[in-house]
Order: sequence, then structure tokens, then C-alpha cells
Amino acid sequence: MPRPDTSYRSVATTRSRGLLRFLLNELPPNSREFGPEGTRPLRHQCPQHRTASARTLEPRVTVLNLTPEERERYDRQLGPGVLSEEGQLRLKQATALVTRVGGMGGPAAQMLAMAGVGNVIIAHGGQMISPDLNRQVLGSESVLGQPRAAEFAAYLRTMNRMVRVEAIDHEPDKDESNELAARCDIILACPPTFAERLRLNQAAVMAGIPLIDAAQWGMTGTLIVVQPGKTACLQCVYPDEPPFEELFPVVGAISCATGALAALEAIKILSGTGTPLFGRLLTYDGFVGRPTIVDLKRNPACPVCANSNP
Amino acid sequence: MKIRITYLGRSYQHAETLPEQIDLESGATIASAVQAVNSLLAETNLPGSCLVTVSGEHVGSVASFTDRPMREGEELVLIAPVAGG
Repeated sequence: MPRPDTSYRSVATTRSRGLLRFLLNELPPNSREFGPEGTRPLRHQCPQHRTASARTLEPRVTVLNLTPEERERYDRQLGPGVLSEEGQLRLKQATALVTRVGGMGGPAAQMLAMAGVGNVIIAHGGQMISPDLNRQVLGSESVLGQPRAAEFAAYLRTMNRMVRVEAIDHEPDKDESNELAARCDIILACPPTFAERLRLNQAAVMAGIPLIDAAQWGMTGTLIVVQPGKTACLQCVYPDEPPFEELFPVVGAISCATGALAALEAIKILSGTGTPLFGRLLTYDGFVGRPTIVDLKRNPACPVCANSNP
Repeated sequence: MKIRITYLGRSYQHAETLPEQIDLESGATIASAVQAVNSLLAETNLPGSCLVTVSGEHVGSVASFTDRPMREGEELVLIAPVAGG
């Protein structure tokens, strides 16, 4: 069975190692920044993120290091078999978009924030209603009737004040999806419609950033991890928008499990750790307790990704 | 020739009537296997968007897939797309 391409890791690691050497050896102890603009988006450091849209952005550079408080917070995820300090720094510099943040996107956003992804953007419209509470872990009975995005963002900030959480109180349309993708390093697509998923997929492919598609029905969860220009994109898999009901059945436990796995894939990709599920579809059939992994076929005539380059 | 069959994804409850494996004539293709599964589903037909995979490899959807002969013991997995968020 062919293995997903992981060559990006060695390149990214080399570049980040150089940055680390600079951080540790060449800066005065209290110096944290150079350059006028603040944080340098992760995408500018990674060759796989070099796209036409990325190159048009003004380069911004910040030298970051882990603070003693961050080292203490992330102590259990630093070391052999988990993240390197360099990987944790990469998370700190990263920006992730999660839309929406209900049953799956909620726990996904929570895991990203708790893991130390520096900028987490969440998008979700509407107000919290009672049926949400069988799965939407960022809510509670105390916020019923309140706008989801603002309340969920406030909750995430209580989990980790060392990361920045931005709330968008609606579902991004095509233009806004493209704008968001241009300032992100990864997209986690967790909406309840194929139309929105395909829109986010297109935005990710245009921006040259990975997309993680997490979806559910009943007790089944699925993950598709897209590496634009190298693997099948969502449009390759679903050339025609499949039918799907608005009020689908779902048990919250599968939502959480799928959202957590989506976050894990994002953490691996952003930190350069492990082997991402690029180009694969993972299905967990919770009804009978069975995982299945399939290698997805790229469509050479795909209207979205056929002309995209890695 | 025996092949294993699995149905996953949306409305998986319809697959409760499916056996774990079916008998096909020697030289049977993926198309004939998909047709056999369709005839065994009690309350529905496979949607055109349903993904068709054989032994871990995605070959297309029910509406359009790359056909080939199946081999003894292979597994046909059909995955009805889900989009719940």
C-alpha cells in the first residue's frame, strides 16, 4: 500500500532548526521580536505552503520561544513519541481555521487551543439550542439562546490564555473562505453540508494549505486529509454534491472522537510530527466498532485541484 | 468466488440485511459485485455518490468507477458519504 508523502517534514525541520539556533544563540535574552510586523505566519516557512497567494503576502517575522509557563503547560506533550520543542514552537506560530465548531469542530478547536496552536479562528452562526447539547462540548445549559461563536470562543480562552482565539459569528461565504485561507496554515472543515465543505476545500486548494474534512452520521465518523497538489481533494472524491439531510442523527461520543482525531491530524501536520493521513479516508463505524482506511484516488480532471501544484 | 462486503456511512442501518460475504462467478467484476449488493439491500438502492473501494483502494463512486475483475477473498467496501458537522 503506498505511503503518504512526508518529505515536507525534513525540509520544514531543517528550516525550523535554523530558526531555533538563531533564537537560542544569537538573540539577547529579553529580545523576542525582530521586524516591524509581529508574527510570521507558519506558511512562509514551509516550502509546501508556497503558493501564488502566499507569496503576495507581506513577510512578517517574529522570533518566538517557549516561555517557562508554556513549557510547564505543554510538559506532557513534549518528548519522545510526542512533540519536539521545535514542533511546539511551530504550533505556537500556526493559525488554524475551524468551521463550524459544533459536535466535531468544537472538540477539535478545544484540542488545538489546549495543544498550543497559537491562533485558532472559529466560525459558527446562530444561537445555542437545547438539541445542540448532546454533542456541542463548547456550550452548556447556561449559554442556551446565546450566540454560539462568542460563547464558544470565550470558553476556549478559559482553557488556554496563551493562545489567541478569534470568533466569526457566521459561516464564511466563498470570498470570506478564500480570505481566511490566505491567512491560515490549515483548515478543519466540520460543517453540516457538502456545499460548505466543498467551498472550504476550494479555498484550501487555492491557498495551498492542508484541509482536514471531518464528518459524521449516526455512530459513524469520517476523516479525509487533503494535501493540495499532491493528494485527492474533496472535489475529486465528491465530483457532484451528494445529498444529505439537514437534521441528521448523531451521538455526541462519535462527534467528539472524530473531532479529536481531526485535531490530532492538524497537530501532526502543523508541528511536522508523525505521519499524517494525507490522501486517505478514515471511517470509524462506531455502530459495530470497526475502523477502515482507504487510499483516495485523485481526479486528474478535477476542476478544483487538477492545476494546483504542491 | 467469495468476496467480503461492507457498507459504511450514511443510513448504515440498511446494510443490516447484507451478509458478510457473497458468492460471485469466477471472473466477476466490481460492477457485478456492486449489482449483487444492490439486489441484497432490502429498502434502498446504493446512492450514486456512494464511494466504491476494493481492498483499501478507492476506485470511484457507484455512479462512475473504474471496473476490473475481482479476486477471491477481496473486500468490497461501499461508503455512503456523510456531511454531519
